[in-house]
Amino acid sequence: MTAADDLGAFLEALLFIAERPLTGAELAELAGVSRPEAEAALSKLADDLAEDRRGLRLQRMDDAWQLATAPEVGERLAAYAAREEARLTPAALEALAVVAYRQPCTRGEVERVRGVDSDYVLRSLLHRRLVVEMGRRDTPGRPILYGTTFAFLERFGLTSLDELPPMEVDTPPTLPAAQEQEPVDAG
Amino acid sequence: MPPELDSIEVLQPVVDAMPIRAAPVPEPGFEVQLPAFSGPLAVLLQLIESRQLDVLTVPLAELADAYVAHLADNPVDPAQLAEFVAVAAQLILLKSRSMLPGEALPISHDEADEPDEVELRRRLVEYRALRDAALALGERDLVAPMHRREPRESDLPVASVTPLPVGLLVEALHALAAIPEPEPAPPEIVAREITIAMQITVLRTALAAGGRVILQQLLASCRSRTEATVTLLATLELVRRRQVRVRQRELFGPIVIEMAP
Repeated sequence: MTAADDLGAFLEALLFIAERPLTGAELAELAGVSRPEAEAALSKLADDLAEDRRGLRLQRMDDAWQLATAPEVGERLAAYAAREEARLTPAALEALAVVAYRQPCTRGEVERVRGVDSDYVLRSLLHRRLVVEMGRRDTPGRPILYGTTFAFLERFGLTSLDELPPMEVDTPPTLPAAQEQEPVDAG
Repeated sequence: MPPELDSIEVLQPVVDAMPIRAAPVPEPGFEVQLPAFSGPLAVLLQLIESRQLDVLTVPLAELADAYVAHLADNPVDPAQLAEFVAVAAQLILLKSRSMLPGEALPISHDEADEPDEVELRRRLVEYRALRDAALALGERDLVAPMHRREPRESDLPVASVTPLPVGLLVEALHALAAIPEPEPAPPEIVAREITIAMQITVLRTALAAGGRVILQQLLASCRSRTEATVTLLATLELVRRRQVRVRQRELFGPIVIEMAP
């Protein structure tokens, strides 16, 4: 077993017994290696678990890591791990999508994109722990910033935010048809 | 048709259909069903797509009638009426501009000015991308969830395993009894003199400067059991909201409350 294999095995075991997500710094310190070494071993572990189609996956959120079950077996595990959960409403999904793609973002940003008051729906997301407060923005009023959680990744079967499908916004033509009309002579 | 001749007549149905009059103007063939909580952008986008028009090029002014008619037929949550009416006003403004002759360039590109068609279209396009992303997200909702390990019993913090002296319990009971309860019989209507919200404010103020509060001292300073109970509930509420952190280093030691990091 090479030193790298050994480090990967150690980190895997550590994450298995951990009762909460561990940060890169914590993992590096516990393994007695540098941060970059730990990061490299974690990335390799994540790849190995996915490529070998193992029952577990490595999830990453910012600098925190946790082991979770593979999405492919998620549905079959429901019999054991089932929590009575209702599907999210379209309004909740919209608000969640803004937070997921724009995080950290404020309630004002959610409401600006949706064009509708989003206080209630955002609170329901907070209550479900899909969204969490991440501090405040340093602008007038110091609005609260929101971001997504591990619970969000778990629910949607994502190992990291990088797996979110890209959200593409078409750019409207600079001159819409309405303004291309022939100018009418004044008078 | 020279638009200037009958622009008033063209605008009249729009005005008639405004929700204040609640006069429904049914438009056959376009039944738009939207889930509750949909905003004005959702309605406008649905109107465009139900006509198979391109959001990037459709002259938004042409949608004013349909939008206002939809508003008249579908009651809007009063709390959100302002947002719907704001978009209606924008559309009617665009429509009136498009009909006025000889005034091709009243459109200001000053950013502080009211949003023009470009701005409204940009919002629509942005909203469409969001809506599609939300739909894609919804298709994954709970479909292939990942599960983390549930905390086991052994993960929970362990209290002392040595048996406790009975005296401690007696002491605790005495301490509880020591909190004076005002004597006068309760009136039929009990005024809510102290609320959880009030105690939350008090706690927040005390903690705001980075200070710490000892729970036992806090409760000891309460003047009645009701106040003590409400104070404890306020503390628990702040813990639940993860706004404060509570630590106790040793069994029966001081319980320290501080702002969550």
